[in-house]
Amino acid sequence: MVMPIANRFRIVEGAVVVALALGGAYAGDATSPPTHPSDIVLSASEHQAAEAFESRVRNYRTLQRKLEATLPKLPKRATPAQVDENQRALGELIRTARAGAKQGELLTPDMQALVKRILAVVLGGTDGKNIKASIMDENPGVPTLSVNDRYPDAIPLSTMPPQVLKALPKLEEDLEYRFVGERLVLMDAHAHIIVDFTDDVLP
Amino acid sequence: MSIRRISVITFVAVLIAFGCGGGAPVTAGPAAVQVPQSPAEAPVALANQKGSLKFTVLGDFGTGKRGEYDLAAQMARFREGFNFDFVILVGDNLYGSERPQDFQVKFEVPYKPLLDAGVKFYGALGNHDSREQRYYDLFNMNGKLYYSFKAPKHKVRFFMLDSTYPVPEQIDWLEKELKGSNDDWKIAVFHHPLYSSSGRHGSDLELREVLEPLFLRYNVSVCLSGHDHVYERIKPQHGIVHFVTGSGGQLAVGDLDKSSELTAKGFDTENVFLAVEISGDAMYFNAISSDGQVIDSGIIERRVPVRGAP
Repeated sequence: MVMPIANRFRIVEGAVVVALALGGAYAGDATSPPTHPSDIVLSASEHQAAEAFESRVRNYRTLQRKLEATLPKLPKRATPAQVDENQRALGELIRTARAGAKQGELLTPDMQALVKRILAVVLGGTDGKNIKASIMDENPGVPTLSVNDRYPDAIPLSTMPPQVLKALPKLEEDLEYRFVGERLVLMDAHAHIIVDFTDDVLP
Repeated sequence: MSIRRISVITFVAVLIAFGCGGGAPVTAGPAAVQVPQSPAEAPVALANQKGSLKFTVLGDFGTGKRGEYDLAAQMARFREGFNFDFVILVGDNLYGSERPQDFQVKFEVPYKPLLDAGVKFYGALGNHDSREQRYYDLFNMNGKLYYSFKAPKHKVRFFMLDSTYPVPEQIDWLEKELKGSNDDWKIAVFHHPLYSSSGRHGSDLELREVLEPLFLRYNVSVCLSGHDHVYERIKPQHGIVHFVTGSGGQLAVGDLDKSSELTAKGFDTENVFLAVEISGDAMYFNAISSDGQVIDSGIIERRVPVRGAP
């Protein structure tokens, strides 16, 4: 379940603070300006962009659950063949249902801008070089990506540093952020497909 | 057999144990390690006691190639004299494609003698592993990306983490699990090593920043990881012993930094698995290469909570 965005952000004089809490919880209160160097103050429009994104993610998850319910239920202790069949069948259903889906439908331009700004802050700190190195570890990227494609089997999943996951908007179950090269991909980890992506997000 | 106790209860360690070393407060003393005094000495034998907890640790193995198969055969031979009950997998369980036939070639065939003998495998996921492995019956993850389980009849609990995607919810879960566990031995299992002397990946500093304070606070004694394709036992860090067991099938010859001050013992010229036996407060370990040599051995005494700690 996605936590309501209002519960995750603190409102400070008309702005919204993302408590990134790198190395510790944000120690401010509702009436004092942010003091932690890693706090990000979001404008009202950025806050709206994040809320709208979480709403689109919820809608996607609703669609995914609805489509999965049409498939034979995967046994709790499934064979690899059953898991693979289920995964590929779900992927096909989602591709059909989102046949016209294009890049930028979930990660809209305003959300792309917000993601880049959040990552610039997280990776711009004193540990930024190490965090970027973790992201790029065994992350060769691929020349092209498309929405609804199967996530490339030939490349490992990028490591997502906890500091990055804590800073980005929370996702629904079965959806994950991953980096493919310097692209940020929104991945359906159950159907193993690319839901959306945005290019060149790393500073 | 002459065994030298490597004293980790140094002045610095004592300071750390009592929370004076910086970072998170420590509520337990350091683990102590006994190892052979010199390479010429015989390795420390596993006690092989009746009723003790016996298991092995394997990482970065699922290649489907000869290195994996040779080590798997060695594990089966080793079990004839050391009847371990289960295998802990520290991730990268399958490389490349994960079609049903890959589960056979990269897992079910090489470990068939162990599987046929009823040995259970407990999986943690690495960066090469599909998230759907959590549903694979033989990895005993029961659909969970992270989970814990208690060894039957022993006060030993394993915390199996997903270090490729450590969302805040997982960290919160881990803290609750660690806090709620009254087991004598708490063993954390995850793919990315907090400490490593390998050139390929090395220490994961971001993960360390998040996990290590919890391990210290809640009395974890041992961490098992992989990712780097070598065997390395790290000198106790803040009282915790870390193993890198990432050469279960893959192998990065020459990748260990021989001058690293982290290394207690390193080995990067053959595939290796780790055999472990826990009896009371002692953990015996032997690292076994694919030709059956014991390339590292010793005894770890668990961390004991400091009196008055929460």
